[in-house]
Amino acid sequence: MLARVANNLFWMGRYIERSEHIARYLNVNYFASLDAPNVKSQDRQFVLRSMLYMIGDPVTDAEIVLDEEDVLYNIGLNSQFPFSIINNVKAARENANSARDLISTELYESINKFYHFVLNYPKDVFVKNGLHDFTVNVTEMTAILRGKIRGTLLHDSVYAIILLGINIERATQITRIINTKYNDALESQGSYGNTFSNSFEWTTLLKCAESYDMMRRFYKKTPTSISTLEFLILNPNCPRSVMNSLNQVYKNIRILDADRKYKKESTAFLIGRVRAEYEYKFVEEIDKDIKSFIENILNSLNEISIKVEAEFFTY
Amino acid sequence: MGSIKNQIFSSYQRNPDLFDEIYDEDGNVTDIYQKLFKLYGEHSIKDYVKLNTKAKSSFFNQGITFQVYGGKDTQEKIFPFDLFPRIIAPDEWNLIEKGAIQRSKALNLFLWDIYHDKKIIKQGIVPLDLISSSTNYLDQMNGIDPPGGIYNHISGTDIIKHKDGLFYVLEDNIRCPSGVSYVICNRTALKKALFGVFNHYKTHTVTNYAENLLELLESVKPKGVDIPNCVVITPGMFNSAFYEHSYLAKTMGVELVEGRDLFVENDFVYMKTIKGPLKVDVIYRRIDDLFIDPLEFKPDSSIGVPGLFAAYKKGNVTLANAPGTGVADDKAVYTYMPQIIKYYLDEEPILNNVHTYHCSRPDELKYVLEHVHELVIKPVDEAGGYGISIGNRLTKKEIETVKKQVKENPRKYVAQPIMSLSVHPTYIDETESFEQRHVDLRTFTILGKDKEFVLKGGLTRVALQRGNLVVNSSQGGGSKDTWVLKK
Repeated sequence: MLARVANNLFWMGRYIERSEHIARYLNVNYFASLDAPNVKSQDRQFVLRSMLYMIGDPVTDAEIVLDEEDVLYNIGLNSQFPFSIINNVKAARENANSARDLISTELYESINKFYHFVLNYPKDVFVKNGLHDFTVNVTEMTAILRGKIRGTLLHDSVYAIILLGINIERATQITRIINTKYNDALESQGSYGNTFSNSFEWTTLLKCAESYDMMRRFYKKTPTSISTLEFLILNPNCPRSVMNSLNQVYKNIRILDADRKYKKESTAFLIGRVRAEYEYKFVEEIDKDIKSFIENILNSLNEISIKVEAEFFTY
Repeated sequence: MGSIKNQIFSSYQRNPDLFDEIYDEDGNVTDIYQKLFKLYGEHSIKDYVKLNTKAKSSFFNQGITFQVYGGKDTQEKIFPFDLFPRIIAPDEWNLIEKGAIQRSKALNLFLWDIYHDKKIIKQGIVPLDLISSSTNYLDQMNGIDPPGGIYNHISGTDIIKHKDGLFYVLEDNIRCPSGVSYVICNRTALKKALFGVFNHYKTHTVTNYAENLLELLESVKPKGVDIPNCVVITPGMFNSAFYEHSYLAKTMGVELVEGRDLFVENDFVYMKTIKGPLKVDVIYRRIDDLFIDPLEFKPDSSIGVPGLFAAYKKGNVTLANAPGTGVADDKAVYTYMPQIIKYYLDEEPILNNVHTYHCSRPDELKYVLEHVHELVIKPVDEAGGYGISIGNRLTKKEIETVKKQVKENPRKYVAQPIMSLSVHPTYIDETESFEQRHVDLRTFTILGKDKEFVLKGGLTRVALQRGNLVVNSSQGGGSKDTWVLKK
């Protein structure tokens, strides 16, 4: 596979995954806040700020009053706004375009349909009453894409590159979501009956990761900070957990680099190290200092991404 | 027979001056179209509109589109597709196929000759002027033996049916002829929309193009290579034919590369893969001659590969089509085709040539200038239907402008009588009915070492504007599925 095309496929995977996380975050937070059990979590400004924080464009000035339609439009459909869903989908499709000969017709057609759906979604409908419809469609279309990736591609290096992108992005986005909700939980503390460890925000967090139902099944208790973090970070069987993503990254790097004993400067070696670190972590360690945990994992993921680029996409 | 109740064709207006492919002179549907006429007639216009919309969105969803440049934004458009297919009878096709192969072979021998001994010029069959003043003649190709002795591996021949019912070749395209992917897409789209009609005809498949192309590319591998690594090179995803490039690479199962993916070292060509450099042996190039190598040709080409031509000259890599083929699809060379075929193959041309006046010859120039209003005047070195003037469409003022242009640079122009392209019933959105539209046919011929193949189908292009004779997609043309029937 050409190095340039591999780069495109890697980013195609990342952009697809990213657009999905943003869409789910918008959906879950917006609708959860409508009837949230405390005043803070019901506050429009609080939710809009949380959304902007998550996508990476935080508003820190408490004086600024955000306009709901503006914020939704920016994050959803504004192609002038670098973090918007529409830009992610455009980028995904452009990357797919240049690798069109390598991916299946079925996968390409689904990406193309996805692109046209987002591109043609009417702005007015979206900001007035289309948020649910739009974000649910985005999530479903990305699910279809994942299915087409798994079900119509040869599971070779092309597939491995795409899955590397998807999983690095997934771990990154989940961590960002955890970070955002952690902040929200801190901020909404002190409202009536709402302490940090059993904050309503943990439920929202799990829903953002489509992991709420399975978490209930696993713990059979209302989510707390500890159980939520444990589930979303360390549980290897939760498909959205950081641990699971790292396992996938590890599995796929082995398709690209099948050496038994890795050179210490290789990507595979780095991935193995990071994975081992989290495999033998326990949640109390994380809970002690969530801030530095989050910094640490985001740094590691970034390091992996840079390493992938250096080893496979440049020559 | 034409009197059966048939909603779809009830308002079809037949101009008796035009050669209609589905009606004979007496206004009866020809035998070969009888069944199709009846089958389509079973639909109401409303049904048909629905099918048509569906077919269009299928193209759009598949991303089978091209970019239209100009205006404010670059727009993504689908290539207009007509659901009423064109049928070619077995004996007619036989003629076309033989004729296309004959021309390809003759052009190949002609190219070999003019880049080697130039016998045809020395013997005075064609004038020296034909190559010495051609911008597409590459001095760099002199004396080079392309692997397998093939120059024009892939040829696109544009054929029309004139009023007299005979086939004429309008153009040979032997640089980077495009359109073959649409042949296959049109078939797929028609099958999806109206699968029932295929049960009534025995039609040749068009899906075997890629395998034949790959076989060809492998047959012209450089010396000393066992299993050649073949690639397709594209100018990039913003090229209007990018879909086709990626389609061909995908169906052949080879890499689609851009210039920046390749490099040359010690006169060998390599591509940059995730596992390091990998040698490339055969390149199906969809980049024009002048852009393939900035060291040899246009120094500012950013889509080419520095050193590629040197590697080619050494015989370390094959380029298909070979550089310098453009000289032979020059419209001035076209006019000598009957002589060229006779000279190299000792055969009479199977497909007719349109009579051509050379503006470079004083007596013919005089005739052209006096008859601009009844001639088609074409620049000899432009592709894509640009710069063509059709005499009977011009105002007096425009005629004067054309005369001036021709007088200023006579070598640049040739003129032909206005050929009347046959017409074919075509669905027109604006009127929601079928109307007569002019069509041509582009066939795709593959010429390899001991191999010749013509895709049994080809691209029927339709000029969608009423009365328009220019069918190129860049000029608003559409296309139809083309059925070659089995015997």
